[in-house]
Amino acid sequence: MVWDALKRAEREQLEVHLPKEGRLQRAESMGIQSMGNRDLNENKGHLVVERCQDGEARILYADSMASELSGLAPEALFAANPEQVVKQLEVTTAELDEEHELWILDTAVNRRQRIAQLEHMNAALEDALKAAEAANQAKSSFLSNMSHDIRTPMNAIVGMTSIGLAHIDEKPRVQNCLMKIKTASGHLMSLVNDVLDMSRIDSGRLTLNEEIFSLADLVHDLAVILRPQAAQKNQSLQIEIGKIYEESLLGDPLRLRQVMVNIIGNAIKYTQNNGVISVCFSQYQKAAAEAEPTEEKALFLDFICEDNGIGMSEAFLEKIFLPFERVNNTTISKIEGTGLGMAIVKNLVDRMGGEITVESKEGEGSSFHVTLPVAVDPQNRKETALPAGGMILVAESREDRAAQISACLEACGVTLIRTRSGLETVTWLTEAQYESHMPDAILVGQVLEDMSVLELVAHVRQLAGTNFPIVLVSEEDWAQIEYRAVRAGVNAFVPCPLFRSRLIATLSELTDSDREQEGQQGNEDSDYSKYRVLLVEDIELNQEIAMEMLSMFGVQVEVADNGAEALERFVTSPEGWYDIIFMDIQMPVMDGYEATKQIRQLDRADAESIWIVAMTANAFVEDIRLSREAGMNEHCSKPVEPERLQEILRGRFG
Amino acid sequence: MRPYQEEYISNLKEGIALSWSGQEIPSFQEYLTQAEAQKQRAEERAKRNMRLLREELFPVLDHIYDADEEDIRGLEEFAGQLLSGREELDVGLFCQVHKALLSLARRRKDRNSMIRELYWLGMAYYNLCNKMVGLANSDSQTYTSRMRLCFTEAAAYLKYFDEIQDQETRGYILRSRANMALGKFPTPGEKIRMVKRTLEILQDKGYQEKEPGLPWDRFIYMTHQQMAASISYSKESTMTSQDMEDVMESVYIVYQRRLQEAEERNEKPPLRPLFSYSAIEYYCGMYGLDELLTKMEALMDTADSTDFTPDSMYGIISLPAFYCQYMNEYPDKISGREEYIIHLYQRVVDYAESFPKASENEALFLYLRQLSLTFVELEGGISYKEFLLKLQVRFAPGIYVHSRMVADAAAVFSEMIINEEPDFFDDIEEIRQIADPEEKRQMLRTFAVECGMLHDVGKINFMNLYSQAARQWFEEEYEMAHLHTLVGSTWLAERKSTARYAPVALGHHSWYDGSRGYPASYERLQCSCRQMVDVIGLLDWINNVTDTARLYTGQEKTFEEAVEGAIALEGRRFSPLLTARLRDKKITEQLEAAIEEGRRAAFRQLYENRGS
Repeated sequence: MVWDALKRAEREQLEVHLPKEGRLQRAESMGIQSMGNRDLNENKGHLVVERCQDGEARILYADSMASELSGLAPEALFAANPEQVVKQLEVTTAELDEEHELWILDTAVNRRQRIAQLEHMNAALEDALKAAEAANQAKSSFLSNMSHDIRTPMNAIVGMTSIGLAHIDEKPRVQNCLMKIKTASGHLMSLVNDVLDMSRIDSGRLTLNEEIFSLADLVHDLAVILRPQAAQKNQSLQIEIGKIYEESLLGDPLRLRQVMVNIIGNAIKYTQNNGVISVCFSQYQKAAAEAEPTEEKALFLDFICEDNGIGMSEAFLEKIFLPFERVNNTTISKIEGTGLGMAIVKNLVDRMGGEITVESKEGEGSSFHVTLPVAVDPQNRKETALPAGGMILVAESREDRAAQISACLEACGVTLIRTRSGLETVTWLTEAQYESHMPDAILVGQVLEDMSVLELVAHVRQLAGTNFPIVLVSEEDWAQIEYRAVRAGVNAFVPCPLFRSRLIATLSELTDSDREQEGQQGNEDSDYSKYRVLLVEDIELNQEIAMEMLSMFGVQVEVADNGAEALERFVTSPEGWYDIIFMDIQMPVMDGYEATKQIRQLDRADAESIWIVAMTANAFVEDIRLSREAGMNEHCSKPVEPERLQEILRGRFG
Repeated sequence: MRPYQEEYISNLKEGIALSWSGQEIPSFQEYLTQAEAQKQRAEERAKRNMRLLREELFPVLDHIYDADEEDIRGLEEFAGQLLSGREELDVGLFCQVHKALLSLARRRKDRNSMIRELYWLGMAYYNLCNKMVGLANSDSQTYTSRMRLCFTEAAAYLKYFDEIQDQETRGYILRSRANMALGKFPTPGEKIRMVKRTLEILQDKGYQEKEPGLPWDRFIYMTHQQMAASISYSKESTMTSQDMEDVMESVYIVYQRRLQEAEERNEKPPLRPLFSYSAIEYYCGMYGLDELLTKMEALMDTADSTDFTPDSMYGIISLPAFYCQYMNEYPDKISGREEYIIHLYQRVVDYAESFPKASENEALFLYLRQLSLTFVELEGGISYKEFLLKLQVRFAPGIYVHSRMVADAAAVFSEMIINEEPDFFDDIEEIRQIADPEEKRQMLRTFAVECGMLHDVGKINFMNLYSQAARQWFEEEYEMAHLHTLVGSTWLAERKSTARYAPVALGHHSWYDGSRGYPASYERLQCSCRQMVDVIGLLDWINNVTDTARLYTGQEKTFEEAVEGAIALEGRRFSPLLTARLRDKKITEQLEAAIEEGRRAAFRQLYENRGS
C-alpha cells in the first residue's frame, strides 16, 4: 500500500525528502525510493508517519511542501512530533499499514481554492461532455438523416428502375420512371457533393480559385438554374440589380455561385407554393479606415435574399451555420438535404473574407445578407458606347422594367420613347414611319398590356421591314423561346436581370452605323459569305429574285434549273461543297421531292446532313408533310420574303 | 376575275349548295348512295380546286412583286368573293391573297393600298375570332391581337386624314378605327372606351366636312349599335358609372331608331333594342334583377317560333342565352324558374329542328353555339349532352358521322380488351367500382360510345375547316384546327352530364409518349381515363386517314394501310397495349366492320332526321 501511495505521489510529481539513513533503509525495505527534488506544483505536503507501539508517532519522511507548510527545516521536521507539526494545518490521513500512515497536509485557504478550482473544472468538464454529446447527437442524427436521405433517392432509383423494366414497352411510363430516376440521382449527387465539400472544409483542403468572371454571367446562370425550381412551386422569384460599379471581377465564380445557389435554393425549398422570393445584387464602395483619401476604395458585392417562407425559430438561428442542422418542422418534413449547405456557405463566405447575416421570423420568412469584398478585373475593358442622339422605342408595360431600361440608356444620350401596349406601339411606329423618323431600334419587354410580345414583334417586323432592329428584353429562358422569337422577327435577346453592358453592347452591335450601311444590302448582323447555296429553280425570273435576295446576305449562290441538274451538281461536287439547298418543288425533268429523296439516298457523308429547304407557294399541310417525308428540313413559302430567308440562314448558320 | 378564279368560286358555292338534308329521297339506301356520291363529288371538287390553286393562283402569288395592275385587281376581286359581309366561302385563302397584296403594298410603299389591305386582313382575322366562341381569352388572343394590330395600323393614318385625299382610303381608315373595338377585351370598360373614342371621331365635324361624301350617319349609327351590343358582355361589377352612361346613350339612340323604323314598316318593335334598353335600366339601378328577368321573359314570350327572321331568332335563341347567363351568375334565381327554363330549351330545339335550311344558316348556328355556352342543366329537361348531339346532327353531319364511326368501333374495341384484361379500364373510377363483369362490360360500352360521340364536339366551332372545306388546309388552318380539342373540353367540362368526357375531347390528339401532338395542357399520366383517351385517339386517327380527313389533310390510306401505319407509330403516337391487338387480323376485321356499322347507323339517323 505504501508503494501504491508513493507511486501515486510520483504520478503527482511530488518531491520527496530523503529521511535519515536508518529510516531510509527501512523505508527502502518497504519499497520506498528516493524521488529527488522536483518542482512542486501541487500545494500539498506529504508525510509518512510511523506509530510506535508506545503510541508515539514519528515522521519517517517528508516532502519539501510539508517542510514549507510546517515552517520547519527538514532536519527539524524529522525531529518534531508530527501532531505538533500539523497543528495549524488541514490533514487528511490514509493508513498505509498497521504502523504507517500517509498524512496529506494542506492549508485551509489552499483547500478552499482547490475545491473551487475543482468545481470549476468539473463544470467545464460537464460542459465539454454536453457539447461532445450534442455533437455526437448531431453526427448520429446526421448519419441517421443521411442514411434516410440516401435511402430515399436510392429507393426511388431502384423502384423506378424495376417499374420501368416491367413496362419497357410503355414509353411514357418508362420516360416517367427515367425522369424520376434523374431527379433522384441529381439529389443523391448533391448530397454527396455537400458531404465532400464539408469534409474538404474540415480538413482545410478547400481552396479558392482566382479567375476573371462576369457578374452578369453569374447572375444569369443563377436565374437559369433557379427559375425552373421556383416555377415548379409557382413561386415568384424576383432577381433585381441595384447599383453595379464593375461587372468584370476577379474571384472564384464557382464557389460564389455555390453560395448563392445554396441560399436561394433554400429560400425556394422553405417557401410554400405561390410564395415570393426576392433577390437583389448590388455593389458599394468603401474606403478602408486607415486608407489615404487618395487611395482607391474597396469594392463590395452585396447580396440579399428575402422570402416569405416558413422562417426559423430563434433557437435554430443560433445554430443555422453549424453543420448537420436542419429546420425541424412538420410542414417541411419532406424536405431533403444534408443540413450542410449553410455551414458550407458560412465557411465559403468566411474564406472569401465576407460576412453573412440572417434574420428570420417563424411563419413570416427569412432574409439572408451576404457582403463580400470583390476584386476588379485589372484588364477590364471599357464598355461600348451608343452613338449619342439616337432614339430607342421601348415597348413594355412593367414600370420597374421600363425604369431599368431607362436607367441603363439615359446616360448614353439616347432619347427613349415608351409605349405600354401593342396597339400604342404600332400606332407610334406607323406615324414615325410616315414622318420618316423611325427609331434606331425597338426594345420589346416581357409584358404588354394587351397582347403577347411576339404577336407585336411579328407585326412590327412586317411594318418596319427586315433591317429594323428588334431586341427582346426578357427574363424568360432564351433557349426555350428562341425558335418562336426568331421566327417572329426578333434580332437579338438581352436577358433579365438587366445589365447595362449587355444592353448597350447588343444595341451598339445592331445599330452600328457602318453595319447599317451594309444593312442597306440586307443582313446587318451576320456574314454568310463563306457559305455556298445551291438554288434549284426552273423559272428564270424566280431565279433572279431569289439570287438577288440571297446575295443580299452575302452567300455564294449556284443555280440549277431542275431537280436532275441539282442532283448532278451535288453528286459531282466535293463533300461539304454546298451548305444549303433551296429547292423549288414543281419543276420539269425532276421535281424537288424526287431530287431530295435521291440526294438523301446518296452514299456520301453530306447526303444526310445537307440542309434542304423547300421553296414553294404550295403552302398546304400536305405539301409541308410531303417535303418533310422527302427529307427536306424546312419549308419556305413563296413569295419569298427576305426576312424569311434571313431566318432560315440564321437558323442554319447562326 | 380570271377564269380559274371564277371556277374556284363556283366550286365553293356548289359545295355549300350540296345539302345533307331537305331533299326528297324515297329510301334510306338511296340516301346512302347519294351521300356517297356527294362525298366523291366533294373530293373531286377539292382536287380540282387544289389544281387551280397550284397551277394558277400560286404562280401569281410567287411573282406578286412583279404583278401588274390587272393581276392585282383580279386578285382583289377574287378575294372579295371568298369573304364578304354576306358570305364566307374561303377565309383561309382570303387571308393568303390579302397577305400577299399587303406585302406588295409595303414593298411599293403604296400607302393607300397598304391601308386597304390592312383593313381586309383585319376583317379576315375578325372572321377567325368569331370561331373562338367558348375559348378562354388566352387561347384565342392570337387571332384577336392580329386583327387589332391590322386595324390599328390602318387607323393610325387618321392623323394624316388631311393629306390623304382619296375618299375610299379615308373610309377604310375610319372603318378600321371603328373595328379596333371588335372582339373580346379583358374588361367591358376597355371596349366601351374604345367605341366611345370612335364615336367622338366620327361625330367630329372637322372630319365630316373634309369628306362629306362618306356615309357618316351610317358609320355613327353602326358604332352606336356596337356600343349598345357591348351590354351583352358587360357585368355590373366591372362597369363604371361613366361606362354605363356611355352605353345608355347609344342604347337609347339605337332603341329610338329601331322603333321608328319598325313603326314606318308597320312591324312590331324589334326585340334586341328592347332588351338592351331594359338591361341598361337594370345596370343603372332603376330596378333589380328579378324585374329584368321578368321583362326578359315577357320579351322571349313574344318571339314567334314560326318566324325565322333574325329578330325572332334573337328572341328564341339569343335572349335565352343571356337569360341563362344570369342564372349561371346568380344560381339562386333558378329556383322557381326550372319549368320555364326547360320550356325555353325545348322551344329552341323545336325551332332549330323546324328551321328551313338550318344547316346553311351561319347566324342560327352562331346563336346556338352562344346558347350552349350558358346552358343550364336541369332535371327533367334536355341535358347538355343531348343538346350537343342535336347540334352535331343538325349542323355538323360530317362530324356526327365520323363521331358515330369512332364511337361504335370504340365500343367493340373496348369490349374485346376488357374480355382479355378485366381491369384494363380500371383507371376510370366508375368502371373500377363495378364488381359484376357483365355490368362492368355494359357500362364500359356505354362510356366508350359516348366518348366517341363527343370527342370532336369542339369542331363545331370550325365548320369552315371541316364540313365546308373545299381544299386542303394551309398550315395556319391546321394550327387553328388544333383548337377544337380545347373548345370541346372546355364545353364538356362545365356541365354535369358531359364532364367525364372532357379529358377525351382534350387528349385524343396527344401522342402516347408525349413527344408531339396537341394540346400541351393534356398530360396523359395525370388523366383519369387515359386508356379510353388512347382508344379514341387511335380510332379517330384511323378513321381520319382512311375517310374523314383525307379531304383537308391529303392523307389517303386504306384501312389496312392505316392499321400498318398505326403499328408503325406504336409506342410513340399510339399505346402499344392497343396497337399490339391490331396485329390480330380478327380484331381489325371486327373494327373495320364496326366502323362501317357506325357509318350506316349515323346515316340512318341523319336520314330519319331529314326535313324533320
